[in-house]
This record gives sequence, C-alpha cells and structure tokens, in this order.
Amino acid sequence: MLDAFLISGLYGVVLVTGLALLLHLQLGLVRIANFGVAGFFGLGMYVFGVLYVQVDWPFGEPWQFFVCAAAATVVSGLAGILVGWLIADLDTDGVLVSTLGFATVVAILATTQADLTGGAEGLGGLSFPFDIGRTKDNEFLWLLITAAVVVAILAYVWQVHRAPYGRLLIGIGGNEPLARSLGKASYRTKIWLFCVASAGMGLLGAMNAVMVRFLDPANIGIDITLAAMVGLILGGTARAWGAVVGVLLTVGLFDIVIQFYLPLPKDWYNQAIPVLREAVFGFTLIVVLLFRPLGVLGDMRRDRLMRKLHGR
Amino acid sequence: MDLVTQSLVIGLTEYAPLVLAAIGFALLYRLTGLINVAYAETLTLGAYFGVWLNTSFGLDFYAVLIPVGIMSGLLSVATYLAVFRPAHRRNVGALEMIIISFGLSIFLRYGLQFVFGYPVRYFDVPPPDTVDLLGVGVGSFRLLALISVAVLSLVLYLFIQRTSYGLKVRALASDEALAKVSGIHPLVVTVLIWFIAGVAGGLAGAFLGVGSAVAPLLGWRQFLFILLVVLVGGSWGLGGVIVAGVVAGIAVAAMTLQFGQVLYAQLILIIAFIVILKIRGTRLTETAKV
Repeated sequence: MLDAFLISGLYGVVLVTGLALLLHLQLGLVRIANFGVAGFFGLGMYVFGVLYVQVDWPFGEPWQFFVCAAAATVVSGLAGILVGWLIADLDTDGVLVSTLGFATVVAILATTQADLTGGAEGLGGLSFPFDIGRTKDNEFLWLLITAAVVVAILAYVWQVHRAPYGRLLIGIGGNEPLARSLGKASYRTKIWLFCVASAGMGLLGAMNAVMVRFLDPANIGIDITLAAMVGLILGGTARAWGAVVGVLLTVGLFDIVIQFYLPLPKDWYNQAIPVLREAVFGFTLIVVLLFRPLGVLGDMRRDRLMRKLHGR
Repeated sequence: MDLVTQSLVIGLTEYAPLVLAAIGFALLYRLTGLINVAYAETLTLGAYFGVWLNTSFGLDFYAVLIPVGIMSGLLSVATYLAVFRPAHRRNVGALEMIIISFGLSIFLRYGLQFVFGYPVRYFDVPPPDTVDLLGVGVGSFRLLALISVAVLSLVLYLFIQRTSYGLKVRALASDEALAKVSGIHPLVVTVLIWFIAGVAGGLAGAFLGVGSAVAPLLGWRQFLFILLVVLVGGSWGLGGVIVAGVVAGIAVAAMTLQFGQVLYAQLILIIAFIVILKIRGTRLTETAKV
C-alpha cells in the first residue's frame, strides 16, 4: 500500500492531467484560452458539496454520490454553455476577461453564500461513497477511480483527434472565418465544446470534493488553472498525450519527486517549495512559448494520408 | 442624497488608484495591442518597493512615491526588453502573448516572495489625517491618490496629444511600418510607453498598499477590475477609460453601501461589464454566425 502523502501527490497529478486534457480540447484544438478552469472545477466541487451536505436525501451511498455528481456535471455543463455563448464571437481579449470573470464570480459566490457553502470558514461533512476500512485505503481506492475517469477522458480526447469532429475543431482553431465560409457551424461547435469540457471539469471538481472532504474557496484559486495550463503547454498543446507528459513533468516533479524523494530541510516544504513551484511554473510558460511553442511532443500527429502528402 | 454623496466621495477616493492603474494599462493596450496580465504585478511590486523604501530607509510615504515610480517604470521596461520584445521578434501570436504575460505574472508574484519575504508587510506610517469632503471623512492618502490621478491623467493627455513624442507614440500605434519610414525610432518610443505604464502601475500599487496590507496578491485582486474598465472604456480612448473607471468605482461604492458587502458589488460589476462586452460584440461579428 502506498504512503498517504504519496497517494495525495499521485491524486494531484491525476486530477490536473484530467483538467489539462479537457483544456487541450479548448486551447490545443480550437485555440480558446480558457483562464476559468478553476471556475468550472470549483462550480462542480461546490454544487456537489452543497447538494451532498445540505439536502436530506431519501437514499444512502452510493446513490447519494451518483446523484450529486451528476447534478454537478450538468450544472457545470450548463455554465459552459453560458460562458461558451458569451465568448463564441469574442476575440482573445474578450475570452480572457469572460473566463477569468466567470472564475471570479464562482469564487465570490462560494465566499458570500455562507449559509450554503460555509463561506470562508469552509464546508465539511463530505465522505467517500464507500467504506473499505482505513481512510488511507478509501483514499487509495478513490485515486484508482479518479484515474479511471481521467483515462476515459484521455480516450475521448484520443477519439476526437481521429474523428471528423476533431478535424472541425482544428479547422475552427486554424481559421474560423474560412471554416464558416465552408458552411461549418463554428458558433454552435464552440458552445458545444465548452459545454462538454466544462461538464468534465465539473465532474472532476465533484470527485475532488470527495477526496478533500472539506471545501474551502482557497481551493479554487488561479493555481488550478495555472497547473493545467503549464502542464498542457509544456507537454504540447497540439497532441493528445501532451497534457499527460506535461503534467508529469511539472506537477509530478514537484508534488511527487521533490516532495518525497529529495532530502530537503523540513521547513522548506511549508513555504519555499510551494512558492518555488508556482514561480517555476510561471517561468516554464514563458520559456516554452518563447523557445519551443509546440512543447515537448511537438507538432500534431497527422494521419497517414497527410503524412504522405507532406513527405514525412 | 446622502447615499449619492457618500458613493461619490468613497468611489472617487477609494478607486482613484485603480483608475491610475487602468490608465497605464490602457496606454500599453492601445499603443502596443498587448493584454499584459503581468501588469498586475507592477502594482504589487510598486507596493513592495514602497514598503521597502519606507521601512528600510525610514522615508515617509510621500517621499517614496518618486523612487517607487522610477523603480516600477524600470521594472516594466525590463519585462518588455527581457520577455515581450524577444517574443515580438519571434512573431509569437496574440494568444501566446497573453499566456506568456500570465506566466510572467505568476513568476513575478511568487518570485518576489524570495526577495521581500513571505509575511505580509505594512507601511510604517502614522495614521492618515482625515479630511472632510462633502461631509464624508476621507484619509489624506486617499485624497492624495485622487489628486495624483487627476494630475497624471492631465499630464498624460497633454503628453500624448500635444507633444512631439506623443505624436510619435500615436504614429507608432497607428502604423508601425509607416512610423519607421518616417524616421521614428520604435524602440525608444516603445520603451517610453512601457516606462510610463510602469510608473502609473507602481504608484497605484503604493497607494493601494498604504491603505491596507502589502501582499503578493495585491495587484492580482485588482486586475479584473482594471481589465474590464480598459476593455469597456478603452474604445473611447484614455478619456473613456477614466470615465469607465470613475463610474465603476462610484457604482461599486454605492452597491457596497446598499448591500453592506463589497463582494456582491464586484459580482454585479463583473456581470454588467461582461454583458456590455457581449452586446457590443467584437471583430468577428462581421463574419456572421452560422
């Protein structure tokens, strides 16, 4: 059995990989920079937490979990439709302000609606939908379940890359006016994409609520968006595996290798390492986009016909 | 009437530093076309520079303002020369530029903690004098911020509209290739723009910091307000930014007084501004929706 801290580190890697994969659909394929990842993730987390704790359900686990998680996913998807509609015809500046604004609105509501969310003091009372013994055993099983969900997201992203829908997304990202002129429904496609990606982020938020079991507005800060974005960009925005490789090299390096395998002074872990982690993430974004904008994995893998046409 | 007067005075004095920051941000945005997320850290570092000069050298708040402005201006120029100019020369796209500036923002926000330390810092200043303005008590630092905004706005307006350097700035923003052919040195003018924007941001940060705690998130917490004000008001030039900033500040003050909760006021403001952006549409609208 893994060490409890290692389970926590691995869980962070798995969770951020899932978010980065969903961000890949938006940023990598359609070239929409969603700075509100933390907002959709936080919305799912809080909808799940509020329904789970504040509603007196007539049935027990695991149905309580399934109903609350489904509601969190649907609400996040609906929020995705709203934000997608807002940003569908905006330029990059408008997308930045709208997605950042959405994340801020979610954080404000989590803080101000204290009767429901617990406000700044936080919301407790959450638990696993099963009990197999010690807390560590439950956490390990939950890590495996979350990993299975992230693998399903990876399979979906993989499938999108090879489907006509994926080529439509890439076409819209490459030249939207041209895609429109060819009769492609770019507006509707972007809204649907936002709906699906946001629903996925909401589901991951709900799953995180189970793992942390205590919701705090500090958990839905910009660092979630940063971790997903830096992982995706380092790995490569154009490739389905980019998010996986990038998150392993960033979050994996700090939350597993440095936290567990480097013999650093104990007091460094309280402030120096978390601060260094974020500073390095920021620096990585700058360096990668300046010197290797396609990330570690490089250009998009083309299908056989395209490779033949381009002689590679 | 009481609410109107209070909102007017509180809105003008509390949000004056943010209007100053928005002017600097708008200058960069309109003249270089860049949404610089790292501008938030110019505010934060302005506050940290002020605290450092104030607590390490015993300078009073008014004496630190000029060095803070210069240091923030130089920092702003350094970020341009070290990051944004190389990115521009490598033809980095608009989307990637925003992400680079986001990365720079994070790097500066966390990196400054290794220089200035982790704990929250405070200016070592005596409590500000309270001045009666239309029957509402206002701190002297806030009043100074308001006066500074008024003076700097006028100076910037005159500089941009009436001086030969201002003409060069406008020419460069309008058509870079034509400006070069006309003998304008783009590097000098661009560095000047970044310096002025940095001065405005740094002073805004010092004014914000003296009224509260100086912490790494000081600038980031104000960034969305600045961004919204510039995107909504920027279409009408610097005057539009000032009007949008002042109106937004007064509206937030009025709603805060009404609801007793500043977060509700910010919530309404964010939604209102995003709706305005949506209604106004952008550059893609002419291609119509399919």
